[in-house]
Amino acid sequence: MENKKMEVSGINRRNFLKTSAALGAAATISGFPAVLRGAAPKEILIGSIQPVTGPLPDIGIAMQRGNKLAADEINARGGIKSMGGAKLKLLLGDCEAKEDVGRTVAERQIKEGAVCLVGPFLSGVAMAIATLAEQRNVPFVIDVAALDAITAKGYKNVFRCFAKTEFFMTSMARYLDLIIKEKKVTIKRIAVTNAGDAFGRGQGAAFIKYVKDKKLPFEIVEHIEYPLGVKDLSAEVAKLKAAKPDLLCPVARPGDAKLLIREMYKQRLELLGIISPGSPGWYEPEFVKDMDKLAYYVLDNVPWVNPKSPKFQEANARFEKLYPGKYLDTNSGYAYTGVLVIADALERAKSTDPAALREALRKTNFKDHPMVGGPVIFDEKGDNINAATAMVQVLPDPNMDDRVKVVLPKEAAQAPYVFPWKQLWERGA
Amino acid sequence: MKRLYIFLAVILAVLLFLPQVLNNYWLEIFILIFFYAYLGQCWNILTGYTGNISLGHALYVGIGAYTATRLAIVFDLSPWAGMFIGALLAMAVGLAIGFLGFRFGLKGVYFVLITISFAEIGRLIALHMESLGSFMGLFVDFKPGFWNMQFKGNLPYYYISLGLLLFSVVVVRALEISKIGRYLVAIREDEDAAESLGVNTFKYKMWAIALSSFMTALAGTFDANRIFHLSPDRVMSMGLSIEIILRPIIGGMGTVLGPIVGSFLITLPAEWTRAYLSEVGRPGLHMVIYGFVLIFAVFFFPRGIMPFLNRVFKPFFIKPSNIKGGHRS
Repeated sequence: MENKKMEVSGINRRNFLKTSAALGAAATISGFPAVLRGAAPKEILIGSIQPVTGPLPDIGIAMQRGNKLAADEINARGGIKSMGGAKLKLLLGDCEAKEDVGRTVAERQIKEGAVCLVGPFLSGVAMAIATLAEQRNVPFVIDVAALDAITAKGYKNVFRCFAKTEFFMTSMARYLDLIIKEKKVTIKRIAVTNAGDAFGRGQGAAFIKYVKDKKLPFEIVEHIEYPLGVKDLSAEVAKLKAAKPDLLCPVARPGDAKLLIREMYKQRLELLGIISPGSPGWYEPEFVKDMDKLAYYVLDNVPWVNPKSPKFQEANARFEKLYPGKYLDTNSGYAYTGVLVIADALERAKSTDPAALREALRKTNFKDHPMVGGPVIFDEKGDNINAATAMVQVLPDPNMDDRVKVVLPKEAAQAPYVFPWKQLWERGA
Repeated sequence: MKRLYIFLAVILAVLLFLPQVLNNYWLEIFILIFFYAYLGQCWNILTGYTGNISLGHALYVGIGAYTATRLAIVFDLSPWAGMFIGALLAMAVGLAIGFLGFRFGLKGVYFVLITISFAEIGRLIALHMESLGSFMGLFVDFKPGFWNMQFKGNLPYYYISLGLLLFSVVVVRALEISKIGRYLVAIREDEDAAESLGVNTFKYKMWAIALSSFMTALAGTFDANRIFHLSPDRVMSMGLSIEIILRPIIGGMGTVLGPIVGSFLITLPAEWTRAYLSEVGRPGLHMVIYGFVLIFAVFFFPRGIMPFLNRVFKPFFIKPSNIKGGHRS
């Protein structure tokens, strides 16, 4: 059955694996190099698992492309030099945004000989794969997935490049502090809004918890939750107006972000500004273009590419050439970084043995990536201690596509940030 | 009949021996096949034998998964015990739904709606209960050991899922040849006629839903300790409810082997096409193929594959002289 189905590629090792499986010798990762008697492999398989179909195909495809961009770059540079120029080969897996499918795909890739796994954007799927990686003893590098719980288990095979939720809040607090000091403003009263879906509630609750736990000098005067897909926020904004906040910290997607801004404009809600603790609503083209002047000066705290780094400029140029109209963004940028980190570890491990690769990943100190933040260094739990967020702000620019700019940290800033903002109704919109 | 039993015994022997020559990936595929066949079999007890369609069976999976996991987290109770507590709880819920549905004579689409709405209520409760991890779900700790129903390799999972499946086959077969089974089929064929002949239809339908929900919940516990993450949108979703009913529908409702045949027919091609097509850079195409396969199956085998297989293979397994119009009880 198996052979009938897969007479696809003439790759010797695959066929070898298949026949060996058919013969009943379970092909395992460690089994493969042993057969070659220690000779350096000609190609090294890496399993990429992304949600290419399902509810988030755009993100899944972008991330798969990010993974590919890095693998192709490594191969163009002559592969893994410490292993005789072995080439990287990505096994493309689609988890359909489902956890059990993610697990099955990972299981399959391990059978095919993947020495390391990378993916999968969704925290739930990451959890399922992380446990499998632990069971099968295969290193797993998470490119994007934010939930703290994944690394809290202390699995020894799991490494995460992306910022966990806690890091989001740490840098949010740091930026808030910086803005208050630099602009000499007083922010005491903060209002938080979010949609009632998993992401919205997670981010909103995490921010409020952080403010309370760290005893930050702010008062949360209002926390408003509305259902996802809400059509009218007039009552919510009226509540906000009554609470008289200095600052609004909303977690939103483009749809509710637009409703919120329109309603604030109508009801003339006076604020120093909007700073989101991290949500996609405030930089998506849909919001920026539709709201035009009303979108100006919104700040958003998100992991982001570093537009000033030569690495980003070079990788982005290739990305744009391959996929016209697309550019390297947070997700594809991290996907790209994930595979680079694996390649760097392979180079230092000089072997595809899982224990050696794991040790090499532990010792990672990888500077040459396109994202905001310092070199990728994993702590004992496998979290990247330098995963940082940037503050991006929508700033006036005749070209709509260039309005979202990195304003903090200073070393990545494309423009100085504006705070407090010009009130919505004073902008001649 | 004897030949059929011999044939099934051979298949069982093969399945018992199979893991010795399979790697973890193939075990995974078989686990999925058994797992969904088992769920289909549980659903079959209610829908296949009484004709009341349930589109909310994910609710029982969720109750089983959450209860056992929560008990394991709080009281360190072994899932082997927790799964039965979860199953009893699911049975209570099933009986409540059944009572409302059957007592007030909801039939057809109205019964479907009540099962859907209760499953949604369950999902929303789980989504908002802090103790159940609300929207993030529960993350199960990975502590391999028989006591925790968690293992490093797939072999134990294979045998547990196979065991569950065998258990369900035995139960359904026993039900089929028992008096209750006869009553249930009578209810399915014509409820009013059955009622007029003195069958207590309400009582037997309650039996069916109790058994069905109890068994479905057992699968939930198994799943929780294999995937290690429970979220309401996974174990209580409409998607899972539909996934559960596909196998018996394709295989043949109201037959013992239907869900199993259906599970093999659906899971294997789905897995192969997904793996192959996403590797060659055609992701998403497998969904189209999957859809076509389902349409094809329903179009050509409106009553499922099983009746067709029966027609083809019956002469081989059962001597023509023995073919009568079924049993007489």
